[in-house]
Amino acid sequence: MDGALKLWIVIVVVGALNYLSRLSFIAFFASREMPPLLARALKFVPAAMLTALVLPMVLSPSAAGALAGINPRVPAAIVAAIVAYFTHSTLKTLAVGMTTLWLLQALAG
Amino acid sequence: MRRIAADADFRAGFAEMVPACIGLVPFGLVCGVGAAAAGASPLAALGLSAIVFSGAAQILAVQLLAAGAPLAVIVMTCFVAGLRFVIYSAAMAPYVRPLPPRFQKGLAFLLTDQAFAASVRRLRAGGNPHAAGMHFLGGGFTLWAMWQVTNMAGYFAGNVIPASWSLDFAVPLCFIALVAPLYRSVPAVMAGLMAAIAVVVLAALPMKLALIAAGLIGIVAGTLVDLARERWTAR
Repeated sequence: MDGALKLWIVIVVVGALNYLSRLSFIAFFASREMPPLLARALKFVPAAMLTALVLPMVLSPSAAGALAGINPRVPAAIVAAIVAYFTHSTLKTLAVGMTTLWLLQALAG
Repeated sequence: MRRIAADADFRAGFAEMVPACIGLVPFGLVCGVGAAAAGASPLAALGLSAIVFSGAAQILAVQLLAAGAPLAVIVMTCFVAGLRFVIYSAAMAPYVRPLPPRFQKGLAFLLTDQAFAASVRRLRAGGNPHAAGMHFLGGGFTLWAMWQVTNMAGYFAGNVIPASWSLDFAVPLCFIALVAPLYRSVPAVMAGLMAAIAVVVLAALPMKLALIAAGLIGIVAGTLVDLARERWTAR
């Protein structure tokens, strides 16, 4: 198959599937009552999903290296999380987190 | 269209998303570079970022295309990687229920990791659902527009930010800024902790399944602790 055609098929099909995923439950519960247990469980989506999303980004390139203390991203992320917890500010979290990482990288190398 | 752009809540959502866009720049550049490396035309690269609108799916798609994977494999892999949107959709559903169907359909298109993370606080605060919806549209549109700009910049100019700046770290930092304040109750902390352990333990799963599996484990853990705590305090 022609490469350009294949890419466009991917764009249209994956785009449609992704959109249906995004719309799925918004559309489903637009006209139905949500069971109370599901509503309770959904309160924990942000804490669970976003933690699972962010942790591999911090631990990369390797979790083993991170645990051995080679990865300066881990302490920088911890400092950033403390700032975020108390300030609720994306800008301050970004500034402190990036500065901590740069300092640690400068010290290490 | 002009009426939407003039809406105060739309503008507030727009303004609040600007800092998060800093974290988007290195990620968008990488996606643009990937599209160029896979031999996509400029229009196809734009189609990929504008229609698929998911960094993880875009990178998987161009990597698999470049490797000559069959169409069905590419579509399946990208679909599974996008299954987390189903969970976000469920979490958004109770808040957007009062909005008109057209509004819901537009909002769903802009549902991404960042937009979801950024809107959680505002949606939970309650108040006027229409205003919260406009706030989400403002933030979501800002992300979408910035995503096209950074993808195109990566496609044409390459990775213009030196790797030694570690600016890719801005992506997790933006999520940390939104996630850390959520750990204010025992069940929420348990949800995050179990998800964290699960995502490390399950890291070897294919097609980014570790993320969705860990997310579900965290959600179940949080719910169980919440139920147990309620039963305990009711006694």
